[in-house]
Amino acid sequence: MVDRPLDEAELVERARRGDLEAWETLVRTYQGIAFRTAYLLAGNGADAEEAAQDGFVKAQRALRSFRRGAPLRPWLLRIVANEARNRRRSAGRRERLTLRAVDELRPGDAVPSPEAALLLREEHERLLAALERLPDDHRDAIACRFLLELSEEETAEALGIRRGTVKSRLARALARLRESLEGEA
Amino acid sequence: MSDLEQRLQALGRELAFPPEPDLAARTQRVARPLPWRWVVLAAAAVALAAAFAVPSARTSILRFFHIRGATIERVEILPPAQERSSADGLGRRVSLTEAQRRLGFRLLLPPLAVEPPVHLLEGALATVILRVGTTPVLLSEYHAQRYALLKKVVGNRAVVEPIRVDGEPGLWVEGPPHTLTYFSEDGSFRERTVKITGNVLLWTHGGVTLRLEGALPRAEALRLARRLR
Repeated sequence: MVDRPLDEAELVERARRGDLEAWETLVRTYQGIAFRTAYLLAGNGADAEEAAQDGFVKAQRALRSFRRGAPLRPWLLRIVANEARNRRRSAGRRERLTLRAVDELRPGDAVPSPEAALLLREEHERLLAALERLPDDHRDAIACRFLLELSEEETAEALGIRRGTVKSRLARALARLRESLEGEA
Repeated sequence: MSDLEQRLQALGRELAFPPEPDLAARTQRVARPLPWRWVVLAAAAVALAAAFAVPSARTSILRFFHIRGATIERVEILPPAQERSSADGLGRRVSLTEAQRRLGFRLLLPPLAVEPPVHLLEGALATVILRVGTTPVLLSEYHAQRYALLKKVVGNRAVVEPIRVDGEPGLWVEGPPHTLTYFSEDGSFRERTVKITGNVLLWTHGGVTLRLEGALPRAEALRLARRLR
């Protein structure tokens, strides 16, 4: 829970009592990871935005049933991911994932040599192509656990499966991905 | 962590995601019950926006309307939904007394010769089938703290009009089919999206949100709503 604020429990308590500013703070804290999760699961930006939006509306209304003291992030991710998966099932379309532009370096990024940057980019393109060839359930597990760097527990919540299933599914997905990459080599 | 897992994490940091929407600002807008004059202004803004609407890439949500226990979103594309016949999916049929006992509030009804059966969904959403002449009309009532509705209408083709029913705020929805999603607050999100083809009047009375659905014109729906006691 890297970005979980220290006073989350208090914010949740206030939001539960109808404090909209507290709720807004919580949404602002988690909207980034919620939207990125929705994007990888729904498969396109418009559905992801709608899924995240509707997920937060529903979460706000369900706050009273939220277990006191529990971490909010997995719970929110479950709701938003569920919205996203429903949208993908109904829409059946997915945008191809792309890499960010080379010049979009973030603060703190190391600056590689041009040759190293080119090689790394080729490696990422190859990995991305192999990932896109995986069946949806394998791809989703890898997307949540590694691309989004969710914990196993959060991955389980987001995919609506048990933690044990996350482990076994990831093992199969990684094996398949390795085979696919080796087949290319 | 294996080499492949590390490479996947590195890939995740290089992905191009669409710009992150400011959901916090929007959630505020949905959550705060608008003062009445703001609702009227919002409606005027929608009319204006509709007049100057330019087709563009799909934007998910164009506008919100909110009353206690119900939110209406204008969207460009409706979500997939099931067709619903009048009484289908409205819950178990129980007596009026039983329904009121489980709901914890008295249902508002028009003067009726016989006590109507009530369809009760999840012990929180009550629906009575009324007839106006030969037109069947669904009257649903729920406590806004226990249940909520999310209604979606398409772009600028549907009318969403703020309205008053006995001094209480409400919304009138008329036009092409729209969808309705019920969801409960027990955390399980048992919800169902259905396609609605009739007109809808939504309003509040005390802590209860009421909903009339059917092929009634606005004036008749309002007349019926005002007869509820």
